[in-house]
Amino acid sequence: MVEISRRTFIKATAATGTTLAASKVLFETVDSVAQAEALTLAPTEDRVFTTCWIGKQDCGMSARRIDGRVVKFDGVDDHPRNRGTLCPKGQAQIASIYDPHRVKTPLVRTNAKGVPGEWRRASWDEALELVAAKYREVAADDPKLVLWQKGRSKAKSFYDKAFVKAIGATKLGHGAYCSDTGYRAIEYTVGLHGVLHPDLLNAKYVLSWGWNITNAGGNKFCWLTWPQQMVQAREQNGLKIVQIDPRLRPAGPFADEWVPIRPAGDLALALALCHELIRQGFLDRPYLTTYTNAPYLVGEDGLFLRETVGEGDEAEEVPLVWDEATRRAVPVTEATSPALEGEYTVGGQTAKTAFELFTEHVADATPEWAADKCDVAPDTIRRIATEYGTNARIGATTVVDGVEVPYRPVGIMAYHMAQQELGFPALRAMAIIPMLVGAWGAVGGQLADFTWKIHKNYAKFEDLKVEEPPYDFVLNKSKFFPINTGFPGIVARVMQDPAKYGVEKLPRMVILHMVNPVTSFASQADFLASYEKFEFVAVISPWMSETADLFADVVLPSATIEKYEGPLSAGDGYIDAKALRMPPMDPLFESRGEIDIYLDLTEKMGKLTGEGGYIEHLNKELKLAGTEFELPDGSRPDVRDIFDRWAKMEGLSGIDFFEQNGVWVKGPISPTKRYGYVTDPPFGGAVHRLYGESLLKAQRLQKEMGADEVYWRDYTPFPTWRTPTMEASPPEYDLYLISYKLVEHKQSRTSMVPLLTELSGHQRVEMNPATARRLGLKEGDEVTVESHHALTGETRRVKTVVRLTEGIRPDVVGMPHHFGMWTHPANKDAGPTPNTLYFTDEGYVGMTADAVFHVKVRVMKGGGAA
Amino acid sequence: MAIDLDRCQGCRACVEACKIENNTPSAVFWMYVFRLEEGTYPDTSISFLPRPCQHCHNPPCVKVCPTGARFHRDDGIVLTDFDRCIGCRYCEVACPYGVNFFNWRKPEQAFADYQLKMDDPDLAAVTGGLIPPYRNPDLDELQGDEQRRTAGSAHYKGVVEKCTFCVQRVEKGLDPACVVTCPVEALVFGDLEDPNSPVSTYLRGRDQFKLLEELGTDPSVIYVGGTPPTPDAREIERPMTGVGNANA
Repeated sequence: MVEISRRTFIKATAATGTTLAASKVLFETVDSVAQAEALTLAPTEDRVFTTCWIGKQDCGMSARRIDGRVVKFDGVDDHPRNRGTLCPKGQAQIASIYDPHRVKTPLVRTNAKGVPGEWRRASWDEALELVAAKYREVAADDPKLVLWQKGRSKAKSFYDKAFVKAIGATKLGHGAYCSDTGYRAIEYTVGLHGVLHPDLLNAKYVLSWGWNITNAGGNKFCWLTWPQQMVQAREQNGLKIVQIDPRLRPAGPFADEWVPIRPAGDLALALALCHELIRQGFLDRPYLTTYTNAPYLVGEDGLFLRETVGEGDEAEEVPLVWDEATRRAVPVTEATSPALEGEYTVGGQTAKTAFELFTEHVADATPEWAADKCDVAPDTIRRIATEYGTNARIGATTVVDGVEVPYRPVGIMAYHMAQQELGFPALRAMAIIPMLVGAWGAVGGQLADFTWKIHKNYAKFEDLKVEEPPYDFVLNKSKFFPINTGFPGIVARVMQDPAKYGVEKLPRMVILHMVNPVTSFASQADFLASYEKFEFVAVISPWMSETADLFADVVLPSATIEKYEGPLSAGDGYIDAKALRMPPMDPLFESRGEIDIYLDLTEKMGKLTGEGGYIEHLNKELKLAGTEFELPDGSRPDVRDIFDRWAKMEGLSGIDFFEQNGVWVKGPISPTKRYGYVTDPPFGGAVHRLYGESLLKAQRLQKEMGADEVYWRDYTPFPTWRTPTMEASPPEYDLYLISYKLVEHKQSRTSMVPLLTELSGHQRVEMNPATARRLGLKEGDEVTVESHHALTGETRRVKTVVRLTEGIRPDVVGMPHHFGMWTHPANKDAGPTPNTLYFTDEGYVGMTADAVFHVKVRVMKGGGAA
Repeated sequence: MAIDLDRCQGCRACVEACKIENNTPSAVFWMYVFRLEEGTYPDTSISFLPRPCQHCHNPPCVKVCPTGARFHRDDGIVLTDFDRCIGCRYCEVACPYGVNFFNWRKPEQAFADYQLKMDDPDLAAVTGGLIPPYRNPDLDELQGDEQRRTAGSAHYKGVVEKCTFCVQRVEKGLDPACVVTCPVEALVFGDLEDPNSPVSTYLRGRDQFKLLEELGTDPSVIYVGGTPPTPDAREIERPMTGVGNANA
């Protein structure tokens, strides 16, 4: 695509006589009469490349512009992620550029907090100085008491990481509400930073476990790329999809089989599938003995037997396995034929292999046992295990790009469903399913990331730090959450009762970057209570968020798509590519790109230049440090120049490469990077943890330090079923509430786009007609949904309307997110958010400090009984 | 146009691409995607059905138009000449597919539902007060040998409008906006009379159906990879306005 220069395009179109009544000069400083006259003759048209801003997966876009005004976004043909196409959000985001309800200028609050804000316009200089002055005051006490929090990260987070490091703040993300439980489970089990996705283009049989195929992303992508690959795999490989989900709508017509599982029954189903795979003999023994800790000998104390290998500084405690060749226990590094199963006497004590213990662990997890918990028929469980095991083709190999790789065309897609009380053990159990058949890292098999890169948490989780109080307000290294995602919901609880958690210092100010905890996060009641405790709240956002409305002292208007961000991964998992977000227009109103705002802020804070300053950290995070392209310290860099330097460092001509080509397609991802079996070393050198020894050690430390059972009970070496807390709610709370994403939305920014809210409509509670009949309800009835906290007895209510569907379990009701806002006319009065109903305290928080989107509710006609 | 129901994800990207390209106001869906449900739990099935104007070879809307505003071009596209349309809405009544939309309001009123406040001074400083701010100038062009005003133009009050297959794009050799944006390439556009066109190639050897074929309208929108919705099909997830449904 070639950009038509303004001058040549004028020549080309002036003769056609096509004029647009309102043609005018945009963003151009008219510096000569001649130019001004020329520009009024005809609209000038051009195209500029950019990257979608509204979703997560950063699709490539080309903006068609008339007189510099964007009139349409189209997909970029060469972009591997979207291949010339766009989703409804990608199309509709054009409205957000021109949204007159954006925050147009910096705003300073003039009324009390806790009620809708009243504001006065301020200059950027004044607003920045207010934030910087408060920062200097708090930092003089302790910079860690400045909380910086971001919503959905857009682009490589180099610029905000650099900001947080430069100012020394505490950082929180949104992942604890997304899928971080799953990330932690997979980092722990195989070392990859991701949840679960199949090698979709080569898969034959996929357990779509809560994968909202037609509405949301699976692992890593926000939507579009997975459906493209799914359609391709169905047409070319005959891919079969088993939808494990309380609702049918996610897979819609693409479910070859629908398994309507009971919410929170996932761990039981996964354990029963493990039970059946073992019983039916679907085991990849060479993989299990070579690449996992399944053959490690576990002593009577539950810990691995170890022996010192090497001497002095080289000495290492190495786990033992039973060597069948020599019939003795030897360090795993010296074994030639480790036994997978068995009980052995070693050094006077009885030891069993981890696999032997696992077989015992799941011996009672029969399909009948699981059916009672997940409400999937025992025969169905047995059949799915058989189909999965058969399709796995254990022992098969195939050749990809000249490399021979094991071939196991079975996979699991699982992502947001990880956010449940037993999410970590459930995802561990789901990761063990492909482990049994050797599908991890095989062609067509189980993946969790696009390359086999071992995350630093894999090593960190070998030795979980559990310390005595006092703790920081995120509860890192605490007896409560030895693995800690960083959960805003728990921080909100800590802020209300720091003594309970052994916390002495609470955050004093918060800088919110495109995040709206009051409506986007649960629990709403906790955020309303905790935000009152901040001395100062600064919000960086294109819109007046509900959090800003109630609590902001200062609002700094950021741009929507009209800014530079990046570098962005643009690959589809098979082809590697990079792109940038580039402004298709100048920022509207007085808004600024976030990088500009952080440059401004650090300058005001005195943290821009010098040692440990923002520029130094920008250089480090973008890996410009020490290269000839390093940003010079001492003055404020131009944002375009930052990316120009990065592009040059990557060996490109500069940012002009992206301006002219839209995307840098680097080429196919080599099978030796992609498939764990053939990476060097295999699986990145990470031993797959069937047995979670360090989880058991953490549990013992938690107990020693007197942590309550609610915190340590799930730190078990194998994923272990227990009845979820919500099941203790009284029987009148007879329905499970689940929540989900609609294809029209992504985070709350889409709720500001009237073209999208038109399609998504009003909030509703989805219900099976049989349930409605039982409750005396019909389509469209106004109802009250009331949730119940099984431990405290607290109840919470929202009002909404009934929508009937035969595609949901009769014991489940569902509500989409994306509602409950009030500051923007596009979403005002569209009904409540389910986040009002959820709880995020003990019993309703995952063992890794993560949100839980499950609760028992009852639905009552009208306002409900008192 | 061919529509592959084995591929359609029901995402309505086509709906939005159409709305942006053709600048249609709220509650007007030249392209619409039904999300349908049939059966009883747990034997439930869900299907998606994109529904543009069917561009019939035997279009009932053309027959009833008293002014010749609605016409059938030689290339198969059924269009409205907005300079001739008197807004009698006969076409709307005659069409069995519910694809016609009468403009009850002036564009600035119709767009008010989108809360875009085109007259906002800060916005007008950037857009010149255009309605909508992403106004596509191609819609003001004249099309065909007779140079008639058949693209969306200004969405005048008092005329009936519908899908034009993006005539302003087709005349430049481009595919309609809905076809281009479809993430799974479920829509294929081209000349059905040319056996070598992409759409003819796509359709070859596949089971096909047309909507309400029994009425003799002979649509040029051909569906593959699915079956026509049964009378039991229930629409789910209707838009806020319900207009898509009301016109169905």
